Amino acid sequence: MTTQSQQDCQTAYKIASKWRDLNIFIYLTGEFGLRNLTVFTGDVKREISSQKAQSVTIDFSQVCYLDSAAALAFVQIEKESAAQKIPCRLVNLNDESKGIFSVIHEDALIHPSFKSEISDDGFIRQVGQASLDIARDFVHSVTFIGELLVALLYTLRHPKSLRGKDVLFYVQRAGVDGLPIVALIGLLIGLIIAFMSFLQLKQLGANIYVPALVSFGMIKELGPIMTAILVAGRSGSAFAAEIGTMVVNEEVDALHTMGFDPIRFLAVPKVLATIIVVPILTIYADFFGIIGGLLIGVTSLDLTTKTYITQSIKTIHVFDVVTSLIKAAVFAGLISAIGCQRGFQVRAGAQDVGKYTTSAVVTAIFLIVVVDSIFAVMLYYIKRY
Amino acid sequence: MEPSENKPIIVVKNLSARFGDNIVFENVSFNAYKGEVLVIVGASGCGKSTLLRIMIGLQKPSAGQVLYQGTDITHAAEKDLNLYRQDIGVLFQSGALFSSMTIKENIALPLSEYTDLDSEAINRIIKMKLGMVNLTGYENHRPSELSGGMRKRAGIARAMALDPRVLFFDELSAGLDPVTAMELDNLIIKTNEALGTTMVIVTHELESIYKIAHRVLMLDKEAKGIIAEGKPLELKEQATDPRVKSFFLRQLPTAPAEPRFYVN
Repeated sequence: MTTQSQQDCQTAYKIASKWRDLNIFIYLTGEFGLRNLTVFTGDVKREISSQKAQSVTIDFSQVCYLDSAAALAFVQIEKESAAQKIPCRLVNLNDESKGIFSVIHEDALIHPSFKSEISDDGFIRQVGQASLDIARDFVHSVTFIGELLVALLYTLRHPKSLRGKDVLFYVQRAGVDGLPIVALIGLLIGLIIAFMSFLQLKQLGANIYVPALVSFGMIKELGPIMTAILVAGRSGSAFAAEIGTMVVNEEVDALHTMGFDPIRFLAVPKVLATIIVVPILTIYADFFGIIGGLLIGVTSLDLTTKTYITQSIKTIHVFDVVTSLIKAAVFAGLISAIGCQRGFQVRAGAQDVGKYTTSAVVTAIFLIVVVDSIFAVMLYYIKRY
Repeated sequence: MEPSENKPIIVVKNLSARFGDNIVFENVSFNAYKGEVLVIVGASGCGKSTLLRIMIGLQKPSAGQVLYQGTDITHAAEKDLNLYRQDIGVLFQSGALFSSMTIKENIALPLSEYTDLDSEAINRIIKMKLGMVNLTGYENHRPSELSGGMRKRAGIARAMALDPRVLFFDELSAGLDPVTAMELDNLIIKTNEALGTTMVIVTHELESIYKIAHRVLMLDKEAKGIIAEGKPLELKEQATDPRVKSFFLRQLPTAPAEPRFYVN
């Protein structure tokens, strides 16, 4: 792309002009490229418009570097001059410069910008499209849940068809590997509840109720919910990304062509593993929550370990523990099903994988909260009657 | 093995595919005969891969039928479709090996699902299949540890696990160096000659086509269907259609029209 040797080429450019009658001659020297495009284009245009010219001649004999963007700018200048009935000539181009000019497509000058070609959908159209997307998503989710239930029933009736190795692998990934973070979060939540309730209850001299509050809160609500949210973040997203990548790599198509049901093959082990581990993780979170409360109780509330434990046990009812574990299992089913379903929705590319992985986590957390509300109302009436 | 011309194993009848308003192809009809290597060619976007996906039951056509040994697989129930899938093998463009499994586990999967063979027999078959594709010793490697060409060969070994009657290949030698592509071509010829497996191959690698194809079908985007059918060398030498000629002779369809480039 050079007309002289690169070493001789000066980074700075120079523009000199000479008027003969009403004809302007512009002499270019140095380097003309993307980096100084705006500046030299402005300079050349200023030179041309400084007086009323009859013709413009641009001399390239001293140009030592020219790239395609600069050449396009000169063609643009030439066209603009021609449009104003001022003939413009580009002269003394050497072979290399001519080569660069020869690859400039005229379409580049015709289309004003790419932005104008993007149609701007109206508000109503966008709302309509979004509604259709939501409806399609709903239909897809319902279909998937139906297919998943059929696959689970098939697995129950044909236990040999279950890939036990895969179930154990996901039990380890979603369960065992998640133990440290679940324990830590459970402990901290227990500490926080104990500390916050202690600040309020000490004003009434009711410190003795702190253990009850911590254990009741952890077992009934916070244990299952916090565990479910953690599993949604750790495993729901992993399921979506894993299946999504398999879709992109045609692995899911390969399963289809080998006659395997991808839901039975990929989703069932993940769903079963999650349903097994989330209740166990919930017990773990509850336990560490109570331990967290105990730490505050013993260090700040002048309660003995024995009193704290006795008070906690008094509050914990079998019914609450069982319903909490059922709730955890339902959350587990939701998280894994949504994760797998979002994975299967991926069509192409890394962007889709990212989009549906995020969606898996957001949808799972939203549904956890919705289902928890339903459970709260349901359990209230069950307890009442 | 020369194809027995009178025994179509797959009959494609008036097949059409469209996505919304976009018609990919219309009224495509052809046969694939027992033991032949049928290559489907055409420029990018002409619907080769869509046609293949319909033939392997991954996609429903908008109209028409694909008959496998007389059974319509486009409208078949899932159960019948699964029987068809046990009779075919597919090699996808990327190999599509299951990345979480070793090569051995990949090949063992269809064998353990569809047969009652014990693990010793399955292992023997795996070794034989890997030997056929020149991958002996790679049983315990994961797909990520293999090169592109090796992954394709492992994919062929998996596709051949159940000794299918028909093998489908999508973009057989795409993205491979010439030597690896040639190795794959030789493997196709060897498998076809030794086992008599019918092969339907989507590709646009001319060298491969001349080497492996018994018959070629050419799809065209503008015509939305088949524009040529025949033996590759005959198409190269006798074709009168400029689109067919330009493809087989590797020439631009017509001399460039009025230059649209700026030349000083």
